[in-house]
Formats: sequence, structure tokens, C-alpha cells
Amino acid sequence: MTTGIAGTTRAPERRRTAAGRRRVLRRIETRGAWTLLSPYIVLLLIAGVIPIGYALFVSLQKTPTNLEPNLSGFGGIDAFVTAFTDYRFLQTFANVFSVLIIWLPLMIIGIVGMALLVHASPGRFGNAMRFIYYIPGALAGVANLMLWVYLLNPAQSPIGGFWHALGFETIKAVVASPGTLPPILTAMLFFQGIGTWVVIVNGGLNGIPDEIFEAASIDGANAWNLAWRIKIPLIRPWIGYAALMNLAYGFQLFLEPYLLDQVAGGALPDQYTPTQLGFWFAFANSNFPAAAAMSLVVLVITLGIGLIIVFRSGLFGEEEK
Amino acid sequence: MARRASIDHDVHEVVGAKRWSAGRIARIATMSFIAVLFIFPIVGFVAVAFRSNEGVANGSDGFLGLGGLSIDNVIYSWSQVIGYGGDGNRGVFLEWMGNSLFVSIGGAILAVIAAIPAGYALARLRFRFRRTVLVVTLLTMVMPNTVLVIPLFLEVNAVGAIGQLWPVLVIMGFFPFGVYLSYIHFMTTLPPELVEAARIDGLGEVAIFFQVATPISRQAIALVTFFSFVANWTNFFLPLALLTSNFNGKTVSIGIQDLIGSSPLFNPTTAAGLDVKLYMPQLALATFVTMLPLLVVFIGAQRFLMRGQTVGAVKG
Repeated sequence: MTTGIAGTTRAPERRRTAAGRRRVLRRIETRGAWTLLSPYIVLLLIAGVIPIGYALFVSLQKTPTNLEPNLSGFGGIDAFVTAFTDYRFLQTFANVFSVLIIWLPLMIIGIVGMALLVHASPGRFGNAMRFIYYIPGALAGVANLMLWVYLLNPAQSPIGGFWHALGFETIKAVVASPGTLPPILTAMLFFQGIGTWVVIVNGGLNGIPDEIFEAASIDGANAWNLAWRIKIPLIRPWIGYAALMNLAYGFQLFLEPYLLDQVAGGALPDQYTPTQLGFWFAFANSNFPAAAAMSLVVLVITLGIGLIIVFRSGLFGEEEK
Repeated sequence: MARRASIDHDVHEVVGAKRWSAGRIARIATMSFIAVLFIFPIVGFVAVAFRSNEGVANGSDGFLGLGGLSIDNVIYSWSQVIGYGGDGNRGVFLEWMGNSLFVSIGGAILAVIAAIPAGYALARLRFRFRRTVLVVTLLTMVMPNTVLVIPLFLEVNAVGAIGQLWPVLVIMGFFPFGVYLSYIHFMTTLPPELVEAARIDGLGEVAIFFQVATPISRQAIALVTFFSFVANWTNFFLPLALLTSNFNGKTVSIGIQDLIGSSPLFNPTTAAGLDVKLYMPQLALATFVTMLPLLVVFIGAQRFLMRGQTVGAVKG
């Protein structure tokens, strides 16, 4: 009797302890994971999650005015209405589109073309060229701007003759004449960004097994066929990735139009891009709710693009599973 | 190395590039032409830093201004750059450089401390919300970091820390691309069996990270440090929003903006009140000096960059 009872209780007990052991191990692993993640999670909260949450909160507050500087409390969507109905709001997006429509196609053609050229040149020459194309990328931000101040000033530029031929005598005339800004921004962004992307897409090309090229050339493909029929279709995910990343980059343009305005003595629109408008709300207008609303608009756009990149580009396939 | 050479050889034969065909000549000519287009402006710009105001303003000094280089010009220009700031703040440019070094190095160290264990945990440990953390990391990685600057400004403003360097440093420490690099590094170099074996040996999870993963993470540490430092050093919008109010507390990226704003070329009224003259050679020299730390880390990280090319190549 007793043995029977012992026998019946013993087996499930052992099973329970085995399951319990697994659970304990699982718990130890989970606790270890979060311990190791904790510095990153803290930074993610401080520099990512909390500011977004707080911006959302601020954007739903009432805007203090000169008459009532301490005005606060829930203001509903007032701040969003302020941002959307601002006379510059639509214009800033139109400006971004006017840059993107020139820059993005040129950028993609340039990236793919140069990456294919580099890939068709194995050995020392190709490596040297790839390195040279990468150099302007090191001149990021303000350094790139100063370089372009030098190039855009007809008086001292090595391409001064070009500006004179177009009838421009000062850097102000070059930058602030109607219609010149989108091509100039295109040139600046192209020069700064192309090298890194050539390296990236070239990396994608290097990932294609050599057998594919061998098979194609046995079938009689020449270098053109190889590039057009084999290489470009195979690196389509990388091209899409480049297009989307650069598209997102376009929506947050700030430094170039902001500093070119300064170089042109204030002759450019002060709020040329959405980010500049948000900056203006925060720093010139002290309208924090509208600034928060504006930043959330740009955030949602780039987040949408980011979601497409992560889930649709096919480059982060491993992570999707 | 040998493998690489043999691949090159194969491709040569495959494409038939060994012969001087028209296509090959056209390709080499095109690539060389683009290279010249990329190099000339940079050479010309760096040359400006070594030329005189008169030479630059008159557009003399010959091809790309290379005929007007002299060390005396540099000494004069540097005296102007260093003299900027007026009586109380002479040499503020060096302070800005120091601030940039402080936030860039501090931010990079923080990025490494956060990214290496996080990347390891995401790559080799199983836990709930692992995928969520990974997706959030990828999303924040592909989004331009400027979109968060105004929310960050509001946050830092709320805690009353505008104009101080430490919030900038902490925010720069958040570097999701570094986590991704570290994640890929451990995915490709650390076999799961090794972790399992260490577990059977009775090591705790954190101990496994320090004793098994850390010793093989040099490559990842170098790459995270490099990319983070470069991103921090060239960051413009974040310091602009958080540090503009503190003249001495700026980083050099936004300090350059002050120099531009004080140049008689672009702002004669402000420049008239200054005892230094910041023309193009002085501005180019200041810019050139701000590039030197980038040059140093680039040379230091080069062998790691070459090895980790495909990994490093994912981020633009």
C-alpha cells in the first residue's frame, strides 16, 4: 500500500523536478540576459523611449502665451493644429520633395553604377578607388559644409568659372537664387554620402558566390550582361535599403540648409525643412508643444520608413524569424 | 590572402579583363575621372588652410591654390583662430575641442559598455521579448538620429540640464548600431555550443559573458568605438540644441558655426567688432584641425575596418 502510494507519487514528482529544473535554468538565463542588457536598456529609455513619450505628452499641452506665460494643462490637439496650419508647414515638405526628387534618383544611379564599377575591378585598382570614393564621407557634417562654402564661392572656387558663366558673382547669389538650392543640396549630400553606400553595396556584391558569375560567363554573358542581368537583380535588396535609408535621411535635413542660410547672410528661407521648422518652434518661438508636435510628425514618417526597411527589405531576414 | 588572390585571378579570367579591351579602358578611365572629381575639391580645400587671405580672395596661387602654401600663413591663421573669443575667452576654440573629445570619447566608452553585453545577450541567450528588443534596436538604428533631438531637448530641459556636457555624453552613449554590430559579431564568431559547455561547467550567465565572450570581442569593441566616436564627433544637431546657450561649453562642431558667423565674409557687422579676422584660410584651418581626431581614429581602426568590412558596411 505504502509502496504503491510512494510509487505513484514518485514519478510525477521526478517529472516535476525535471520541469522545475528547466524552469530554473530558463529563469537564470532570462535573468542573465536582462542583467547584460541593462546598461543598454537604461540608455534606450533615457535617449529613446522617455523623450518620445515626453514629447507626446508635451505636444498635448496648452501653449503658454505672452499674456499667460504659465499656461499649461491638457490642450488636446491644439499644438498639432498650430503646426499643421503654420504657413510654412506644407512648404517645408514641398522643399524636401524638391530635393529628394533630384537627389534620390541620382544617388541610387551613382551608388549602383560606382559599386558595379568597383566590383568589376578586382585587385589593387578597385580597392584604391573604393577607398578614394569613401574619403568625402569622412568629411561629415560641418566639415563638408565648409568644403562647399569654398566650392560655392565664385571668387575663390576652383569651379569659379562655372559660377561666373551662370552669372553669379557672390556665394549669396549662388545659394539664394531661385531654384539653385535643391541642386546644391543634392551635390552636397551626394558628395558626402555616396562613398559609404558604394562600400555597402559593394559588400552586397561581394556576397554573391563566384559560381554564379562563372556559370553566366560559360553561358556567354559579357561584362554588361553580367552587371545588368545578374548583379543588379541580386543586389536589389541592397538598392532598396539604400533608397529607403536615404529617403528617411531626406526628411530630417537640417544642417546644410541651416548653415547655408548663415553663409548667405540670411537670404535663404529660415525654415526650409520640417526639422528647421520644429527647431524654430522650440528656439525662436518657445512654443514647445508645437515643436514636440512637429518632431513627432517627422518621427512618424521616418518610423514608417524604418518599419519597411526592417520588415520588408529582406536584409534583416534573420531577425524577423 | 592567398584565397583572395585566387578569387581575383578567377574573376580576371571570367570577365576577360586581362586584355586591354575597350570596355576595360572605359571602365578604368571612368573610375579614375570620378576619383579626380572626389579628390580635387578636398585637396583645394585643405590647401586653403595653408594660403594667405589675399591669395584666396584674389583666386591667385595657381592650380588649386597649391602655389601659395606656406607655414607662415598657417601660423598667422592659427593665431586668429586661437584668438577668437575676446578677452575673457581667448582660446575658446581649444576648449571646444576639449569638450568634443570629452563627449565623443565618453560617449564611445558608454556605447561599448552597453553594446557588447547587449549584443551578446541578443545573439546567444533565449529570453522573452528578445525579438522585441532586437526590432526596437534595428528601428532606432535605421532612423536618422536627428529626429529625436527636439524630444531630447525637451527632456533635458525638463531636468534643467541644458548647457551641460554630461547629458550630451549620456545620449551619445545610446548607439543601437553598436548593439547590432556586437550582435552580428557574436552570431558569427561565438558558437552556441561554447556557451552551452560553459553552462554545464557551472558558470553563471554573466560569468560566461566575461570569461567566454569578452575575450573574443576585440573586433567588435574596435568597430563600436570607431563608429561611435565618428558619429559623436560629427554630431551637429544634438549639441546645437543642448549646448548653444553655453558659449564655453560648446562642442567644436557647433563652435565652427560661431566662427562662420563671425567671419567678415558672411557677417560683416559682427566681424567688425572682433579683434581677429576670420577669412576663408582661418575657417579652413579650423575645419582641418577638427578633422585630425577623425584621421587618428581612422588610421587606428583601419585594420579592424578592413577585416569587418561586410559587418561594418550595413550602416550608412
